[in-house]
Amino acid sequence: MTAERFLALVEAWGADPRRWPTDERSAAEAFAAAHPGQARAALAEAESIDALLQASGSPAPSLALRDRVLASAASAGLQARRAGRRWMDRLGLALGAGWAAAACAGVAAGVMLGTHLTADAEADAILYQSSLLGLDDTEVLG
Amino acid sequence: MPPIADPDEDLVRRVGDGDAAAIQAMVARKLPRMLALAQRMLGDPVEAEDVAQEAMLRAWRQAPRWAPGRARFDTWLHRVALNLCYDRLRRRREVPTETPPDRPDPGPGPDRGLLAADVGSRVDAALARLPVRQREAIILCHYQELSNIEAAALLEISVEALESLLSRGRRALRAALADLRPGAEGA
Repeated sequence: MTAERFLALVEAWGADPRRWPTDERSAAEAFAAAHPGQARAALAEAESIDALLQASGSPAPSLALRDRVLASAASAGLQARRAGRRWMDRLGLALGAGWAAAACAGVAAGVMLGTHLTADAEADAILYQSSLLGLDDTEVLG
Repeated sequence: MPPIADPDEDLVRRVGDGDAAAIQAMVARKLPRMLALAQRMLGDPVEAEDVAQEAMLRAWRQAPRWAPGRARFDTWLHRVALNLCYDRLRRRREVPTETPPDRPDPGPGPDRGLLAADVGSRVDAALARLPVRQREAIILCHYQELSNIEAAALLEISVEALESLLSRGRRALRAALADLRPGAEGA
């Protein structure tokens, strides 16, 4: 490899040999090893441009975008085409199980809350009536 | 022509079979790349999201009928996303009253600190001002880390022409960002 070609290659592709064309990489690395004085300045120059390019951050996909893209897989008909709605069925089962669990939790909470409120109401009634009317518990509760 | 080795081949096949884990893995692997490509091509985060979402939708449609060995799936997906970007860039040119989302170079400023975000903004602005072919070459080779052959094929040019675009693009960036380079402080 000539010095001219090495300089052109580094100017275009940067200082990282992984970006150099594969068919010239070995020759370019050999040139850099054999002519460190010539190579160093060109590599340092290219490295400074590489570093600036790296300062441009890559945007991370938002969760909303990720969810839309995942949902679009189902709308594209992927699951129905070959897998017999396999993963959609799984999703349906998961959603169904979630609804069932939520319903059970609601019923249980309702029962517990009802019992709790009933007991509280009875206690309040007992205290209130006994204080006002001098009734005892057995008269109130029967 | 020998079949082209594709690191995504197994994943694409499983996506085509409707494998939920593969679909999630494909999103994790490709969505950030497509979003970054579109963001740098268009300079507009909303448009970039639209392009990335549309490219992924086309990936879902393509996966069940993907024929491995003829091309890398990643290269095909870049082709799709680039075409979507071209459509939007073309529409911008056809609507001259709209202001393109070209970010002005904020310049160094007398008391401007060199925070990483500042440098990133300067680089983004300088990239946005490059001629579109030079910008594409740098995006595909530097940021998307495509091989020179893949990038040249995507741009439908020779590797030598790609190298010329890269050289000119990097020289323009070097001139635009000269004050940010090491040793330029106080210059």
